[in-house]
Amino acid sequence: MATDLLKTAAEFSVKGPIWSFDFYIGSWHVIISESIIVQWIVMAVLAVIFFILGRNLKVHATSRRQMAAEYLVGFFRNMVRDTMGEKYNKYTAYIGALFCFSILNSLSSLFGFRSPTSDLSVVAAWGVITFVLTQRNKFKTGGVKGFFKGFIEPLPFMLPFNIIGEIANPVSQTLRHFANILAGSVIGGLIYFALGQIANGLGAIGLPAVLSLYFDCFSSFIQAYIFCTLTMAYVSGADCSED
Amino acid sequence: MIEMLKLAEETAATQGEFSLVSIDPNTIVFTLINTLIIFLIYFLFLHKPVCKILDERAAAVNKDMDDAQKAKEEADKVKAEYEQRLQESKDEASRIVAEATKKAQQRETEIISAANDEAAQLKKRAEESIEKEKKKAINEIKEEISEMVVMAASKVAEKEISEKDNEKIIDTVLSQIGESD
Repeated sequence: MATDLLKTAAEFSVKGPIWSFDFYIGSWHVIISESIIVQWIVMAVLAVIFFILGRNLKVHATSRRQMAAEYLVGFFRNMVRDTMGEKYNKYTAYIGALFCFSILNSLSSLFGFRSPTSDLSVVAAWGVITFVLTQRNKFKTGGVKGFFKGFIEPLPFMLPFNIIGEIANPVSQTLRHFANILAGSVIGGLIYFALGQIANGLGAIGLPAVLSLYFDCFSSFIQAYIFCTLTMAYVSGADCSED
Repeated sequence: MIEMLKLAEETAATQGEFSLVSIDPNTIVFTLINTLIIFLIYFLFLHKPVCKILDERAAAVNKDMDDAQKAKEEADKVKAEYEQRLQESKDEASRIVAEATKKAQQRETEIISAANDEAAQLKKRAEESIEKEKKKAINEIKEEISEMVVMAASKVAEKEISEKDNEKIIDTVLSQIGESD
């Protein structure tokens, strides 16, 4: 029986995101993958949530809806203020939007979608944003001189390592987020497959729920949180101003 | 690396799906656009209104606290003023009472001295009138006695005496009486 299981396990595979549709604009082959479709669904949901939460706010608040809205915005405000400091308040909206978008993208697997965050390209896009924001902040606070000086500090021969470090930060951050969510879905798939083989589906009650709680819910939250925290740390860490 | 990417894309194109670990520029571009849209939605629908409300509330709370502080200061000022006025009134009252007492005492001494004066005057007048009455009584007695003497003398003598003799006799009698006093 064990060999049977192994034989069937060899058939198990996790596939990449499929193309939903593709078309050509001139010579540009536009491919809309599953990840983008799911993102659009998530965006629609988020837009409705944000719209409902954010309308009819009053200075003397009594509604639970407004409490929730204030709690959410206050959470991101405090997070950004504590990690980046008072002068980076304007990043609050981006961090909040990224956090909500990332977490709902990951949680979409609960509704049977393929999480967009388990697609490397999606998380890589956010890594690119982090990289751009980091370099921009370095340029803004240090000027041209400070920007280039940062690469030969503390000693000039550190230049290659500094360049690698600048690139490695967003890459590692991207891979962490992507790989955690992907691994979660792979493990989830394996569990379903194995339980299906062993007990003809009977054992598939209870255990997948517990594992799903960790790999889908908890992991989604923690990865979104880590990604946002790292983004904040990299951007504010790039501050070259001398104060 | 670019060749690898191209190869991956070609394989993907033939299969209609991407491999498990692949980077697709299309997905990156669309994700960037989607993230920008979500950022704008979050910023415009939720972040901006909520921040506005939070700031307004903070301003309102600060204003209320300032107002309360101001009201307290005002109340303290008014209280101090009233206390000062009360103290002034008390001082004034005690001053009035003291003045009245002083005046009353002055008046008392005045009345007493006036009464004393009057009493002395009355006594003096009474004494004078007593003296006068006394003199009058003496004179009356003298006249009566002289009349009685005249009558007695005329009765005793039973004889006519001239006016001149008469007077002489009277004077003699009177002087005798005066000496006998």
